[in-house]
Parts: sequence; structure tokens; C-alpha cells
Amino acid sequence: MGSSFLARRLATAGITILLIVVVNFILFRAMPGSPERVILRGTPNVTQERLEAARERWGLNDPVFPDQFVAFLGATATGDLGFSFVARGQTVSAVLAQRIWPTVILFGLGEVVAIVLGLALGAYSGWRRGGPVDYVGNGVSLVLYSTPYFLLGMVLLLVFATGLGWFPTFGMLTAGATYASFTDRIVDFLAHLALPLATVSLGLVGQYAIVMRSSIIETLSDDYITTARGMGLRDGRILRHHALPNAMLPTVTLIAINLGYVVAGAITVEVVFNWPGLGTLAVEALTARDYPVLQGVFLLLSVSVVLANLLADLVYGVLDPRVRT
Amino acid sequence: MTASELSIVRPSGRTRGLRLLGVLRQLARRPEGVVGVVILAFFGSLAIAPELFVGPLQTAVTADGPRLSPPTDGFPLGTDELRRNMVNLTVHGARVSMAIGLLATVITVFIGALIGIVSGFVGGRVDAFLMRITDFFLVIPTFVLALILTPIIRELVGSGSQQLFGIRMTLIVIVVVIGITSWSSTARIIRSQTLSLKERAFVDRARVIGAGSGHIMTNHILPNVVNLIVANTVLVFAGAVLTETTLSFVGLGDPFQPSWGQILEAARSVGAPGLGAWWYFAPPGVCIVLVVFAFTLVGAALDDILNPRRRSRR
Repeated sequence: MGSSFLARRLATAGITILLIVVVNFILFRAMPGSPERVILRGTPNVTQERLEAARERWGLNDPVFPDQFVAFLGATATGDLGFSFVARGQTVSAVLAQRIWPTVILFGLGEVVAIVLGLALGAYSGWRRGGPVDYVGNGVSLVLYSTPYFLLGMVLLLVFATGLGWFPTFGMLTAGATYASFTDRIVDFLAHLALPLATVSLGLVGQYAIVMRSSIIETLSDDYITTARGMGLRDGRILRHHALPNAMLPTVTLIAINLGYVVAGAITVEVVFNWPGLGTLAVEALTARDYPVLQGVFLLLSVSVVLANLLADLVYGVLDPRVRT
Repeated sequence: MTASELSIVRPSGRTRGLRLLGVLRQLARRPEGVVGVVILAFFGSLAIAPELFVGPLQTAVTADGPRLSPPTDGFPLGTDELRRNMVNLTVHGARVSMAIGLLATVITVFIGALIGIVSGFVGGRVDAFLMRITDFFLVIPTFVLALILTPIIRELVGSGSQQLFGIRMTLIVIVVVIGITSWSSTARIIRSQTLSLKERAFVDRARVIGAGSGHIMTNHILPNVVNLIVANTVLVFAGAVLTETTLSFVGLGDPFQPSWGQILEAARSVGAPGLGAWWYFAPPGVCIVLVVFAFTLVGAALDDILNPRRRSRR
């Protein structure tokens, strides 16, 4: 991989992350009420001296740019995102850390399931274009693509948890339960995970199938496929060795670009199932107007998406020599 | 595709009308286009005059049904926990959802087209700067940004009972937030088309006879990207309806002007899925899926018909 390609991608990601921090900086200053009043919110008997002390303590008497901005940048870089308004005395980083793993598990697994199923379904539909699988699969994909994730979640919850009683309705573990062994705990966790995971996977699978299908169809009209056919290669071999690897390329990029949109779905699915991840945290913070936590969630999710995109770009560079210039 | 339809000169009013007719005729030839248009016409008429179909919006005071009841006589879609008729709520929800979607789409497409044309035509540093910002909005999870912006802007403008176009200020804020967070893909598409248009001979000719950049952009570039803008608008509309629904669902809607997303939020907070109250979230849910589905169908069909790149591939 050319070093200029690498350098340019790294620079782009770096600038985007810097812009995210700038937006966060501006947002906090755009809030109604002066910052020291926001910080001292809820404190009784605020005197002029205390306000002044707070201004001095938080560096609010310094010029906004560059002093305050540089301080903000430094603090963000070291993971100091301030304190939560609601959970008094807890840093935003600590609040985020408690909620990160449930989201990573739910969405990591959801993405994996959706990518495997979506690419398989899309590749098969495109390969057997006009066949029954293509017809049904395309229709289902389009409907799933038009359905908000949380609506899908509510339907699954109604049918499989309330109606059939197969799965628990909310949370990550049964509240107040004590487990005889570690295996019991895992079983309980998996039972709680099943429905949210199904929701995330179904929500994603439609768009991946649609992208993969059109990509395969486009690839199949290329000359090298005709050549492979002319050489008398078997269908299965053409699909696996010639069509699939090339058709996967645009899909990699689209999956990465779509991550930003997936986050919106992620938040609502967690809300429907009361899954204790970053999504429910964001909505709790929104309801309580806990802006530092909300901004922390924004920073964390945005930077993750930017890094995922950077990774996808680099993977793309490895897979496709043409873009390495 | 005839040569006149591909013409790159500024179309007169008459040819533009003919072109529109041609597009509609092509749309009517595609089954998915017809299905989409019929669904949208249905919900469009509900949104224009909900009072005509179900009377004024019921409130907790005027509601007269049983409490959270499944479909019965006189209440074909059941009632909510405030005894309101779900038919009444859903039809009025159509107006709120579609109106917000429409206004947000106008703002989104306006910003996107403006930035796309200026960026592509002016080029150089302006282009580099504008595209940096566009990429920023393209990559980041704009929904989370909207989540923070909405309450902040609401506190700044104050949430009284003022209205604009008959829409409460709280919802106008949502419209603006959707507009400023979702224009990036439109800008990208318009810019790439502008880049190829500005190399054409008619732009050089206009410049030679002394036309300024502003004149060329509005009179020569804009008419030639209108096709793209139209095709993109339909897809943006679908996205705007979905974003509004999602924002309302996490608690940013307005209970006094319930959109479909707001009804779903109410259903969730009452615990409708856990109570088996399917009639509470099925009507708005089905409506959202149908509308977004229809927009996607029409948008894809229009994209095939109007997008010059796709056309050349056929």
C-alpha cells in the first residue's frame, strides 16, 4: 500500500475527529445559561463569590479561543469529558464505560449475522436473478429496509415475548436473579439477547442484501465473466472465484458508510428492549437534559464510526489495488 | 430516449412541461412506480384534509371511547389509554408526519443543491472546504447530533405555543434540525453532476458573452441538475419521515401534535407490546412502513428514468 494513500486516509480521519470535538466545544457554549450556572445547576445558595470561584476554577475567565479551546481539546484527548449532571460526582467517562459492552456485544453480533445472511441472500438473488428467491427476497428486503428498527423490535416483542412467552421482555439479565452457576447466567443472558439481536440483524439484512444483489448483477455483465463462461468454467466456480470477490468490494464501503445510520437504529432498539447500552444511556440523558453525557455518547459513537470507516478504507486498499494511488 | 430529452440547452417552459409528461408516462409504465404513486396519493389526501375524514383531532377531553380497548364497534382500530379513537389519531398523524417530512425535505434539498452547485462550479479551495464539511456530515452519526441539537435549539428559541404554517415551534425545530443534518448526500450527488456540466461548451459560450458565475450557476447549471434534484428529493423525503419518526420515538415529538412516531412513543411508554395491545402501534407502524416503502419505490423508478448516468448504461 502506498504511503501517500495511507497518509491521506489518516489525515482525513484525523480532521473529521477534530471537527467532531469542535462541534462538541461549540455545542456546550451554545447552551442557554452561562456555563458556570450550568455547572452549578441544582446547587443551593449560589452567591456571587461562588459563581466567580467557579468561573476561575473552570477557566471560564480565559479567552474562548485559543485558551479554552486548547484546554478542551487536551481534556478530550485524555478522556476527561467532564461530569454527569444527573449521576453527581461521576465522570462522563465512567458512565460511558459502564454502558459500552452491552452495545458492543449486541451490535457486533448483529452486524456479523446481518453481513453473513445479507451477502449470502443478495449474492444468491443476483445470481438467480428473476428466480423465486430473488422475487421473495427482494420484496422482503425492501419492506425490512422501510421499517424503523424499533417498530420491528416492538412486533417481535409482542409476538415472541408477550404472545408466545419464549423470551423475556426486557433487560440484559433477569432482575434480582441469583445464579447457581456461570452457565445459568450465560443462558439467561442469551435468552435476553435473542430478540434484540434478531431485531438488529433483520433491520440490517435488507439493505445489505439489496446492495450485494445489485453489485453481483453489475459484476456479472463484466467481460471477464463472459470470458470465464467461454472457457467453460462451471457456474459455481465462476460465482465463487470470479464474481463474488469483485462484487464484495462496493459492499465493504457501503457497510462502513451505513454505520452512521445504523447508530440511530441501535439507539431505538436498545430503548424498546431496555438493553442497558449506550442507546438507552443517550435517551436517559436526553430526558434528563444531561448534556455532558449526551455529548460523550456523541463523541464516542462518532469517533467509532470514523475509525470503522478508516478501517474499511484500508481493507479496501488491500483488496483493490486500483485505489492505492 | 430522444435527443431533445437529453438536450443541455436551457429548456423553455413548454419543453419542460412535455418532459414532465414524458417522465410521468415512463413512471406509469413501471408497476412499482404506479404502486408507489397510488400509496402516496392516498396518504397525501389524508394529510391534506384529515378533518374531512375523521373530524378534529381528539384530545383527552373530547375522547369518548373505552380505555385501551381492542377494535370494537365504532372503534375499528381500537383506542389508546386516553380513550382516543386510533383511527382519528392515525389519520391526524399522517398530516403531522407528512408535513414535517415535506418541510425538512425542502430545507435538506435546498442546502444540498446550493452547496453541491457552488462547490462543483467554483472549485479550488471553496470546493475543498465545502467537501470537508460534507464528508463530516456524511460520516458521523447525524442522528445523535440531532438528538443534542434539538433540545438545545428548543431552549434557545423558547417553547411557547407559537405556530408556523400551523405547526408548533417544537416541531419546526425538528424540521430545521433534520434539514441541517441530512443534506450531505444530496450535495455530493449534485456536485459530481456540476463538475461534468461545467466542462461543457455551453458554459464556455455563456462566459464568453460575459455571463458571471452566479448567472451561469442559476441559469445554466441549475436547470440541468433539476432532474437529479427531483429524483433525490423523493429519496430524501423517505429519509426525513424516518428520521422524524425516530426522533419522536426517543421523546422529542410533541404530544399536542402527534406524528406517527409520537404515537409509537406513547405506545411504548404505556407498554403496549408487553400488554399485547397490538392495535396501539400497528396502525401508525403500518402507515410509516407503507409511506417509506412507496417513496423508495418511486425514488428508485425516478432515479432510473432521470439520472443521466443510469440512462447511459442502458
